[in-house]
Amino acid sequence: MAQTIVNGINIGALYGLVAVGLSLTFGVMKILNIAHGEFLMLGGYFAFWLFKLIGVDPFLGLPLVAVILFLLGAFFYKILLAGVARLREEIKLKNSLLIGFGLFLIFPQIVKALWSADERAISPVYSGGSFPVLSVRVAYVPFAGVLVALGVILLLHLFLSKTYFGKSVRGTSENWKAAKLMGINVDRTYLITFAVGIALAGMAGVLVGLTQSITPNIGMSWTLKALIVVVLAGIGSIGGAFFAGLILGVVEAVGAIFMGPYTVALGLVIFLLILMFRPQGLFGKG
Amino acid sequence: MLEVKDIDVYHGDLQALWKVSLQVGKGELVSLIGANGAGKTTIVESVSALLTPVSGCIEFNGVRIDREPTHKVVRLGICLVPEGKGIFPGLSVLENLELGAFIPESRRVRQKTFEFVYLLFPILQSRRKQTAGTLSGGEQQMLAIGRALMSTPKLLMFDEPSLGLAPLVVKNIFKVIQQIRESGVSILLVEQNVRMALGIAQRAYVIENGHIGIEGDAKSLLDDEKIRKAYLGAS
Repeated sequence: MAQTIVNGINIGALYGLVAVGLSLTFGVMKILNIAHGEFLMLGGYFAFWLFKLIGVDPFLGLPLVAVILFLLGAFFYKILLAGVARLREEIKLKNSLLIGFGLFLIFPQIVKALWSADERAISPVYSGGSFPVLSVRVAYVPFAGVLVALGVILLLHLFLSKTYFGKSVRGTSENWKAAKLMGINVDRTYLITFAVGIALAGMAGVLVGLTQSITPNIGMSWTLKALIVVVLAGIGSIGGAFFAGLILGVVEAVGAIFMGPYTVALGLVIFLLILMFRPQGLFGKG
Repeated sequence: MLEVKDIDVYHGDLQALWKVSLQVGKGELVSLIGANGAGKTTIVESVSALLTPVSGCIEFNGVRIDREPTHKVVRLGICLVPEGKGIFPGLSVLENLELGAFIPESRRVRQKTFEFVYLLFPILQSRRKQTAGTLSGGEQQMLAIGRALMSTPKLLMFDEPSLGLAPLVVKNIFKVIQQIRESGVSILLVEQNVRMALGIAQRAYVIENGHIGIEGDAKSLLDDEKIRKAYLGAS
C-alpha cells in the first residue's frame, strides 16, 4: 500500500503541474485551452530530441524547453487568441474552445508526419535506478520529477505573491477593468500569463517523457486530466491545483488495486461528484 | 487641461453620447450631473479609454488620447475611480495600493504617495494587511480613491463616489476630495448627489439623454430654477 501511495504521489505531481498551467490560463483570462495537453506533448518531444540528437540531459534541458514553450505559447496567443480575449465572456469561452479544438486536431497530425507515431521515451542512464526508503522503493526519475514539479510551483507562487508583475496578474484575474485603470497593460499581462501556462505544460511533458512515453496523441487525455484536477481544486486556486493533482494521483493509484482497467473512470466520477456536490472545488473561491 | 470635443460614443449599436464637449482646467473641480442613464459614466469611461468615441476627439494637455489604450492614458496622468469601486477584493489593502502605483512614474515615488494616502485615510494604514473584500463599503471607497491617488494623477475623475454610502461617510469623502484638489490635482466629479456636487465645484455640466444641456458656474446652477425643479426637488 505504501508503495502504491508513493507511485500515486509520483504521478500526482505531474497531474498537479499540468493542472496549474491550465488553472493559470483559465483563472486569469477565463479562456479554457483545450489544446493545453498538445503543448505538453510538444514539450516532451522537444526534450526527447534534445536528448537523442544533442545529448542534453532532460532535467538540465528543462529550462530550455520551458523557454521554447513560453515563446511558442506567446506566439500562438498573439495570432489566435489575442482578439478573443477582448470579447464578452460567453463568446470568448466558445471561441477559445473552438480554437483549442482546432489545435487539438492539427498538432498531433503535424507531429505524426514529422516524427512518426512511434512511442518515444526519454531514458537517460540513471532511468531504472531507485533507492529504498523504509519499506518502499523510490525510483530516481519519478522522484526527481516530484521535486521539479514542487520547485516550479513554489517559484510560481513566489512570483505571483512577491513580484509587482505577479500581483498585477492576480489583480487582473479579479477585475480586468480596474487593472486597466491602474495602468496595467492587460493585453500584455494575458499574453505572458498564457505563455507561462504553456511553459508549465511543456515542462510537465518532459517529465511525462521521462516517466511514461510520448506519442502524438497523448495531448487530449492530459488536457482532460488537467481539467479534472482544476475542477477538483476549484477555479482560481493555483496552489490548490497542485494539491488536488496529488490527491487525484494517490486516489487513482489506490483505486487501481480494486478497479484495474476501469481506473480511468475514477477521475471522471470524481469530476462529476465535485460538480454535483461542491462545484467551487476543494479550495475554490466560489 | 482636459478637452472633450464633440464626441459621439456608442455602446454596441446604441448611441449614448451626441456631440458631447466639456473642459476641465488646471486646478479646477468640475462636476458632471444628470439623471441615471444620461451618459455620465460613458463620458468618464471614454476619457479613460475604456470606450472609444466614434467621432470627435479628446485631448489632455494638448495630446490626443481618444485612440490610446487605457494604460497609456493613466501614464499621461488621468485616473478614474469607477462606479462600483474598482478594487481587487481578493488582494490585501496594501497590495491594492501597491498596484495603484503600477506605472513606472508612480512606482518610483510610491513611498511618498503612501504617506499622503495614509494621511487622508488613516484607516487604510491600520487595515493594510486585511483582504480588501472584507472592508466596509465606505472603507472600500476610500481604498478605491487611495489606489487612484497612488498613480499620481494630474486629473482625477470620480464616478458616483457617494453611491450606497452613509451620509457621514459621504461628508468625509467630499472633504477628502477637496483636500485632493488643494494638493494640486484637477478633479472631474460625476455625482448623483447634486447638492454636494455643485457645492464643492467651480463649474458644472448637466447631461441629459446623452447631450450636454446646461453648463456654467456651479453656484449659479445651484440657484437656477430649472435645476432646482429637476434635480433638487424644490418648487
